[in-house]
Amino acid sequence: MRRSSLFVAIIAICAAAPCFAGGQNESRGDVPSSAVAATATPAVQPEAVAALEKMSAHLRSLKSFGLHADTTIDLVTQDDQKLQFPGTIDYKVRTPDGLYIAMKTDRKEREVWYDGKTLTIYGPRNKLYAQTPAPPTIAALLGLAEDKYGIELPLADLFLWGTPKAPVSSLRSAAYVGPARINGSVTDQYAFRQDGVDWQIWIEAGDKPLPRRMVLTTTDDPTQPQFSSTLTWNTSAAVRDADFAFAPPKDAHRIELVAADVAAAKEASP
Amino acid sequence: MKPHATRRHAAKRHAVHPQAGKHWRNPLYIGAGIGLLAGAIALLAVTSDAQAAPRARGGARTSVNHASAGGGAAHAAAANRGAHATTNREVNRNTNVNRNTNVNRNTNVNVHNDIDIDVDDHWHNGWYDDHPVATAAAVTTAVAVTAAAIGSVVNSVPPSCVTTVVNGVPYQQCGSTWYQPQYAGTSVQYVVVNPPN
Repeated sequence: MRRSSLFVAIIAICAAAPCFAGGQNESRGDVPSSAVAATATPAVQPEAVAALEKMSAHLRSLKSFGLHADTTIDLVTQDDQKLQFPGTIDYKVRTPDGLYIAMKTDRKEREVWYDGKTLTIYGPRNKLYAQTPAPPTIAALLGLAEDKYGIELPLADLFLWGTPKAPVSSLRSAAYVGPARINGSVTDQYAFRQDGVDWQIWIEAGDKPLPRRMVLTTTDDPTQPQFSSTLTWNTSAAVRDADFAFAPPKDAHRIELVAADVAAAKEASP
Repeated sequence: MKPHATRRHAAKRHAVHPQAGKHWRNPLYIGAGIGLLAGAIALLAVTSDAQAAPRARGGARTSVNHASAGGGAAHAAAANRGAHATTNREVNRNTNVNRNTNVNRNTNVNVHNDIDIDVDDHWHNGWYDDHPVATAAAVTTAVAVTAAAIGSVVNSVPPSCVTTVVNGVPYQQCGSTWYQPQYAGTSVQYVVVNPPN
């Protein structure tokens, strides 16, 4: 873990100011080449793509799971200063129509409940919840949440890899970095680049190629803020219907969930 | 509050980074962080001009891929992102900066909430999550409460408000002004409404 973190730091530095020997002689105008140097290798290494596809197939094969993520996210001030906020996200998933997400930081808590019929957003501390009819699958739910309500669920990739929503043709660069340990497990670290985002992933070695850590660097922001998550899986988690059906506490109040464009329109007409 | 300064900032961002806005979607998770920022502002307010406090303008994306209808292969082309709703919202938000500033002034809402308003609705929620009222820092910059226009949307309400449940709706009542909470994405907003009967 320590070693891999250091390595990440090195890569980050090199990405900002090429420090590998080969980097300095390259034209800066080149199409994105891997920040991991290795200038002789193709930008998209087949082995890296294959590892991603293998992991994706494994994810799609999971019928149910529990997942805990320890996360950090950078927010950027108007003065381009990055501030980092740690948090946790817990998931319970049962394909194709059960999803529960609990997000928690010191400042905000939210729960998302989905049982194949209804989407609920709930604030355990503000005791406010909103509900809306939902489509019959998690995949469709994610699309609705993003398109209609402007909600991009964190780590939505877990549900998108291995589907047409995450085509490998989007990869501008794909590289194998090397072996690494995440919480004691042997993993392989890979680095990818797509439009707007550089991302790294640590995939568990062996017959359960699960993502164990991810770092996303948002590259279409000049400050390049990052989101990192270290994932702890429970692929044998018992899930029940009750895990996905929201039952409002007695002191909770229901409020409206407004569509994103509705909210904007209201703001636009004082 | 200096609305012109805010507008200038926004315009400058656009001029320099025309792409910067496109990932300002509403990652469910992002808003979680802003509370600490608010805490920092509260401290700063004691010793310095509150308006010099840092304002959040964006954050890291939390997913490589997009679930939206424009996702997948279409997402690979930046132009397609512009086709889906998020970008439209961004446009609205950016053009709303000054209008929202006015809302703040009229309703005695903490100017610090501009942090949130002129960025994205996933920013502001964190620091009034447990209580809809702005923090002590807000009080230091408060001015007289005046009537807020019905239908106005704000991201927090004045400190004098009390929660009043009428017909199951948890209004925030502030004198003669009533606010009804709603979720916009995962963030709570308050809409100025007519007093409930």
